[in-house]
Amino acid sequence: MKVIEARGVKKSFGSFHALQGVDLTVNAGECVGLLGPNGAGKSTFIGVVYGVTDRTEGTITTFGHDPRSSSREIKRRLGVVPQESALDEALTVVENMRLFGRFVTLPQAQVDKRIDELLVYMSLDHKKDAPIRTLSGGMKRRLAFVRALLAEPELLILDEPTTGLDPAVRHLLWQKVTDLKKKGKTILITTHYMHEAEVLCDRIVILNQGKIIDEGSPRNLIERHAPGYVAIYDSSHPSVSQLRERAPAHWAIYPQQSNLCIRAPTLSELVELQKSEATEPLLLRPSNLEDVYLKLTGEELTQND
Amino acid sequence: MTETLRLSWHVVVRNWTVYKKDFFANISPTLADPSLIMVSLGLGLGSLIQDINGRTYLEFMAPGLVATTALFTSFFESSYGFYVRMTYESIFKAMLTTPVGASEVVIGEYMWNFIKGSLMAFGVTLVLCAFRLVPHYWVLPVATLLGGLISIPCAALGLLASSYIHNINQFQTVYSFLIAPMYFLSGVFFPIEPMPELFRWAIQISPFAHGVRLMQLLFWGELTLQTVLWHGGMLVAFGIALSYWSNIRIRKKLIA
Ligand SMILES: Nc1ncnc2c1ncn2[C@@H]1O[C@H](COP(=O)(O)OP(=O)(O)OP(=O)(O)O)[C@@H](O)[C@H]1O
Ligand SMILES: [Mg+2]
Repeated sequence: MKVIEARGVKKSFGSFHALQGVDLTVNAGECVGLLGPNGAGKSTFIGVVYGVTDRTEGTITTFGHDPRSSSREIKRRLGVVPQESALDEALTVVENMRLFGRFVTLPQAQVDKRIDELLVYMSLDHKKDAPIRTLSGGMKRRLAFVRALLAEPELLILDEPTTGLDPAVRHLLWQKVTDLKKKGKTILITTHYMHEAEVLCDRIVILNQGKIIDEGSPRNLIERHAPGYVAIYDSSHPSVSQLRERAPAHWAIYPQQSNLCIRAPTLSELVELQKSEATEPLLLRPSNLEDVYLKLTGEELTQND
Repeated sequence: MTETLRLSWHVVVRNWTVYKKDFFANISPTLADPSLIMVSLGLGLGSLIQDINGRTYLEFMAPGLVATTALFTSFFESSYGFYVRMTYESIFKAMLTTPVGASEVVIGEYMWNFIKGSLMAFGVTLVLCAFRLVPHYWVLPVATLLGGLISIPCAALGLLASSYIHNINQFQTVYSFLIAPMYFLSGVFFPIEPMPELFRWAIQISPFAHGVRLMQLLFWGELTLQTVLWHGGMLVAFGIALSYWSNIRIRKKLIA
């Protein structure tokens, strides 16, 4: 079953085209990651999905409803962590959650139980009666996550949910998302942490300047765009230029700030090269989604370019 | 429809939850200001003024102050109050992820303004009772309701302003050129009848003037079917037209 089905979705703000024809399907039970640079249109697309942003062109259905005309039916079934937590600063943690419980139409007794459980899970129970304005940035982010889960939604939309979270809490959140996936929930997530996307997502969609430039499973994207291993050298090292010359032309060689990255199809080839020059790389690692991302969004310059 | 009203009601609950935290700070200006005006203008200045159609100046001015409280309560709530909720506090961003839609937000804000306007009108009328300016006990509930009714077009002006301005300081302009003239010229402080004909006609386009008139006739026991239909009709007509317009405008603000 298709939870979200978008065809040729465009969105303009005045003369600026934020989305330029997005085709995207999210199936039930899938966790889809929407990646892309700042301003790519990720949050705009998310807004279109549940109707707080009105598309300019194209069609989209969420749970089979058009968000333009039936956003209420859609919103009954989803939970959102917006990019800005948008908590009610004037209220306390528990007041905020209770009020939200009213909006999502949960019985009071059930709400209180859910709130308690989720606050404990996100280690916020000690802040239950604290006014929102006294919470730290990461705590607000955690609370936004609690709020999104309150009504046990079928579709969870997470717009950079882990921004500002410490590593321990980030893992906690990943665990929760993984549990929800196991329960068959559908998840649409945006993040700037490639590792997070690799860990959580079944499928990655890369958006750039309002267009989808590629999609696939994390493994599949890596295989297609950046297979192999990456060695990172300090560009100022004297023997780096020799390395550059000796590396076969089909390898990817590109600068990254003051470093030089060399990606080879296999680890042994890379080690071979290294031995011949007797230069230790700063880091040697398997290629990952970040390499794909940088390549596709044009941050990486290959030797051939 | 019932779902819409239920969801809108939660917007009221949200505003009330915040409002009651600072209840006394919030209601004190609404009750203190009219009392000060009663003393300074009503008793002070009023002592220099002849009777107006057989009424003391204090008696003349009192009903207008009840209407005024509804004007200010609802205008400030739906201008500064609403604007801060919408832009700085992003309250609606979270609400709009729930079954609440833009229309429920707007309807909820109107309900809230109606209730707040009524309660403030009730409060001021109680103060007037202390000055022995309320002739009949039934004036109290009717003035309360009328306060709510006056709040609707006045809240609409605030919401419309919220939808047009580009930064919060611009409310000052709206206040100076729209709200203050309505306040000073709608017949709260002087009778309109002796004014030039052009003025008397022009003032009919102020929804507030109709509210003031109704309130005065109510307090003075001079309501007739004709005056109720005319001024009440105008008040309701302005309320419907302006709130309809504001709904379209605010919708555009909430749904990008
Ligand atoms: N209400 C608006 N009015 C005008 N332009 C807007 C509006 N909302 C978004 N934009 C523009 O649309 C583009 C896409 O914005 P969007 O917020 O969707 O980006 P994003 O991919 O979520 O970026 P980020 O990673 O920074 O969150 C940006 O260039 C932004 O300036
Ligand atoms: Mg964004």
